[in-house]
Amino acid sequence: MRLPHIELTNFRNYRELELEPAAGLNVFLGANAQGKSNLLEAIAMLGTGKSFRTSRESEVIREGASRAVVTGEAHSRMGIVRLGCMVESGPRSAHKRYLVNGKDVRYARFLGRAAVVTFVPADLQMIGGAPSLRRAFLNAALSQEQPPYYHELVRYQRALTQKNAMLRSETADRELLEVYEQTLIEAGTALWLARDEAVQALALHAEQAHRRWSAGTEHLELRYHPNVPAQAPTHDAVVEAFTTHLRAHRDAERVRRTALVGPHRDDLRFLLGGTSLAAYGSQGQQRTAVLALKVAEYHVMRKRTGEAPILLLDDVLSELDAARAAAFLEGIGDVDQGFVTATELDSRFPAARKFEIDAGRLRVQA
Amino acid sequence: MPVPRAIAEPVAALINEFSKLPTIGPKTAARLVFYLLNRPRHEAQALAEAILAVKDKVHLCTTCYSLTEHDPCDLCSDERRDASMICVVAEAKDIYAIERTGAYKGRYHVLGGLISPMDGIGPAQLRVKELVERVGADAPAEIILATNPNAEGEATALYVGRLLQPLGMAVTRLAYGLPIGGDIDYADEVTLARALEGRRVL
Repeated sequence: MRLPHIELTNFRNYRELELEPAAGLNVFLGANAQGKSNLLEAIAMLGTGKSFRTSRESEVIREGASRAVVTGEAHSRMGIVRLGCMVESGPRSAHKRYLVNGKDVRYARFLGRAAVVTFVPADLQMIGGAPSLRRAFLNAALSQEQPPYYHELVRYQRALTQKNAMLRSETADRELLEVYEQTLIEAGTALWLARDEAVQALALHAEQAHRRWSAGTEHLELRYHPNVPAQAPTHDAVVEAFTTHLRAHRDAERVRRTALVGPHRDDLRFLLGGTSLAAYGSQGQQRTAVLALKVAEYHVMRKRTGEAPILLLDDVLSELDAARAAAFLEGIGDVDQGFVTATELDSRFPAARKFEIDAGRLRVQA
Repeated sequence: MPVPRAIAEPVAALINEFSKLPTIGPKTAARLVFYLLNRPRHEAQALAEAILAVKDKVHLCTTCYSLTEHDPCDLCSDERRDASMICVVAEAKDIYAIERTGAYKGRYHVLGGLISPMDGIGPAQLRVKELVERVGADAPAEIILATNPNAEGEATALYVGRLLQPLGMAVTRLAYGLPIGGDIDYADEVTLARALEGRRVL
């Protein structure tokens, strides 16, 4: 997967920008606050349709402009496709539009056309942070890889919002509550099975990468920790467990006035040598495990989609010590195309093309 | 001293009224007003009377809750229509869509919206109770649930279906599938998967 041509219009500090990245690793060099991360953010939006930095996406519109646009040409083994993502300012919130070959499409039809793996400094907090961070990681990775996953996720969240609204209002129409629970069980079971399978694949690759780095002394494990524990990872077993669990927590849900059962309370656990990394791991051990997870995400996505995703590293390598950074790059191997931001050129980067960035201006370095 | 107005007061007032309508912004509203200013008086009068007539003469049918001038409505009082089938729709405008197909000759029931607790709309805000009573009294052979294939439409169909099933008649739902004249390779995965599930023998 490659993006040989990218254009930005009124995106953050860029009024107009055309970029012709090379195959291999592209490095954006510059002092802080010159717009390096803005570029990476724009490129990521071509893949995920979302900003990895803000949930208030009207922020990406350049001051004084009414809409921000990123377009790019994605070359993959499926052929060439032109992608566009627009953020338009609206009276209340930003309105987004997605384009494939010049035509407006729904988000679900846009997502995953250009597979990207992003790695930002905030990811390094994933293990010690709230479970929602780890669920967000799984959701983002799986939605890109599998369109049906995204569909089930939306269905699930929609039904969950309705169920919570009912629990809050105390107008407990049992029949209606069961309608939403039926959807939650159907969509939730699909999420359960997809997450279980994905975590197994991630665990395998993460363990391999980690074993190489630690010279086989520490054993890293990733475990899917579903809120609804099923006897077996099969459709029927999950449906049954889900149904039983809902029944058992019915009173508690009514008292707490919120849905307590289902994949919206799942977690992903990291263990090192059999003990919890979140509880007992050092900062360094946690970071190394996240690196292994990101390497695994990259390889799992490559396997599933049949080609290497685009790698986006925002200031991550400078956050890491030399040994870890080198181990990470070695774990990824040769990239089809990648983008890295850095404040100074580092001999560790096997840069294919270097861009100097100064106050929203771009210069290709010889 | 009053501020001099760029636009005569009645013109501004009508622009204001038009721009309250859905999909009409101030610019379109102004275009409509200036268009009407250039038309003969009788056309403006016809428009004004048509608007008032809608408010004064159109009521809900007390059987199907569709819009009508007389009660029961034409569809409910037409003896040639099949009273053994009731098609349940969210809004009266959905009836016109189904009638345009010419493929349905039964009766209708308008719910008046879709269930969505997050928006404060429960079964009590819709004509669900009325449907159950009507079905209990008329005992039709089939109920067709024709709500939209989105989250709210699905939930409403499931809910109404649960209430009606114990009454013993067939409860059906519109099929999902590919649009006619479309290409399989352009269909999204979800629609295609549903079309496969709903396939039928040739």
